[in-house]
Amino acid sequence: MLGIDDPQIWLAYILCFISAIGCIIYGALKWNDDSDDGEAE
Amino acid sequence: MGVSTPLLGISVLAYMMVVFYFGWLGYKQTKDNDDYMLAGRKVNPFVLAFSYGAAFISTSAIIGFGGYAGAFGLGILWLVAMNIIVGIFIAFVIFGSRTRRMGANLKAVTFPELIGKRFQSRFIQGFSGALITVFMPLYAGSVLIGGARFMETALNIDYNIAILILAIIVAAYVITGGLIAVMYTDALQGVLMFVGMGILLVLTYSKLGGVTEAHQALTNMAYLVPDNLAAVGHTGWTTMPAFGSPTWWTLVSTIILGVGIGVLAQPQLAVRFMTVESTRSLKRAVLSGGPFIFMMAGVAYIVGALSNVYFFNTQGMISLEVAGGNIDKIMPEYINSAMPDYFVIFFLLTLLAAAMSTLSSQFHAMGTAFGHDLYREGIMKGKIGKTINVTRAGIATTIMISVVLAYILPPGIIARATAIFFGLCAAAFLPMYSGAIFWKRMTRQGATASLLVGTFASLFWLTFIHAKEATALGISQALFGVDTILTGTWTLVDPILVATPLAFLVAIVVSLMTEPASKEHIEQCFKKN
Repeated sequence: MLGIDDPQIWLAYILCFISAIGCIIYGALKWNDDSDDGEAE
Repeated sequence: MGVSTPLLGISVLAYMMVVFYFGWLGYKQTKDNDDYMLAGRKVNPFVLAFSYGAAFISTSAIIGFGGYAGAFGLGILWLVAMNIIVGIFIAFVIFGSRTRRMGANLKAVTFPELIGKRFQSRFIQGFSGALITVFMPLYAGSVLIGGARFMETALNIDYNIAILILAIIVAAYVITGGLIAVMYTDALQGVLMFVGMGILLVLTYSKLGGVTEAHQALTNMAYLVPDNLAAVGHTGWTTMPAFGSPTWWTLVSTIILGVGIGVLAQPQLAVRFMTVESTRSLKRAVLSGGPFIFMMAGVAYIVGALSNVYFFNTQGMISLEVAGGNIDKIMPEYINSAMPDYFVIFFLLTLLAAAMSTLSSQFHAMGTAFGHDLYREGIMKGKIGKTINVTRAGIATTIMISVVLAYILPPGIIARATAIFFGLCAAAFLPMYSGAIFWKRMTRQGATASLLVGTFASLFWLTFIHAKEATALGISQALFGVDTILTGTWTLVDPILVATPLAFLVAIVVSLMTEPASKEHIEQCFKKN
């Protein structure tokens, strides 16, 4: 995958992208959410 | 350096002027203690995210760990994933929201004060302040050295003078402008770093013919791993080190777990959660925080590893050979030979920004730990009022200590300083801090016991067992005539894997054996606001 044979490395590589994109999506979805720990206010 | 010095000088000057402008703004806006310590508790989410990231990522994270990736390969990408998931997401959303709320409920202005007030203990506050006062200057000293080395080579300034110049510049805006100045300059420096690293990634992949092509070329180089590195577990730049080998232990226990988890209990980072107005700001900050860390750490490690392909294509050597065996020279060598001149100048500014942003938050955190937590609350028992000047004097004192340490400590200890500080924070603070915000049943005695056990277990392991620090410190050698008192795999296991679980265990056992705090106090700590 992506020129990297060891799954332990390409998983990490992909995880970096997924987690960074995940942060963007989370931040955008929760833009106006002010509840703590997932509890609704 | 192949770049024109006058142009670089002008760029640095322009950059410094903007930094000073922000410092001056911070000074103008600082009216009271909350402003000075917590930037008035109403920082913008973007500023929070970038200042957190810029404070977290120092020059050594880019140059040192980038160089580590150049020598040992892409296994360190797990640290990037940890940094984003633990260091940003879990830190902001899970730790951050509770820290912010409790900080506001208890009117705490520093990390030690938050914990001290939660457990109603001046001892905890004073001792935590003392720990930060004693050990953070070591970490700051190492960042100072990194920044000064850069100024030495890039601007042709004498190294010893460079340390002083850098310390004085950062001290000027931290002392006068407090956390407002620190966070706004950090955010500005963060933007510079983001752009610089972004360009670096694109130029590197395009130079090597594309993403998959570059990786494939690196994979194909596995046979070039030097024998001495292969003997300690190095198997190639796109494979993990051999399981259980010394290289594997260092990568997994010290780098991925030590730095990846240790970040949660860094006082200079945790205090930032208390600077925002609401949980909403923390959630918004995740949006820019995640990509920021990716662009810093992710890019540095990918580029560091890929530098091998570039040097092999151009000079027939791996990066470590080109750098003369010095890991810290891999990134500078690569940037200088592979990147266009205009970018070299920009990248030097990026590195200066990285050093200054980390330094400023360290200066602020250790100064407040000394002036506010240790002196005002721990020693004077809060009898000297809340003037900002005590904190300012604390910052000035700890900066001087860092500068002196940077001059006098042997390079071996300075190189280990970041790891020592991270490990110590994880063991001393993490169990107590997690208990403070997540476990209502945790008692003052449990917290005190875990603080002491975490601190001393970690220091003991560093001094006598973990080979990298024990050898550099030389105390075990002086007392017992051996570098480490245990042998074999134990000497490779990072203190965080031993001292932190031990401190957690002590916190739980002692808390369950002692009287819980009063209901009113717990309600006061945990109430919604």
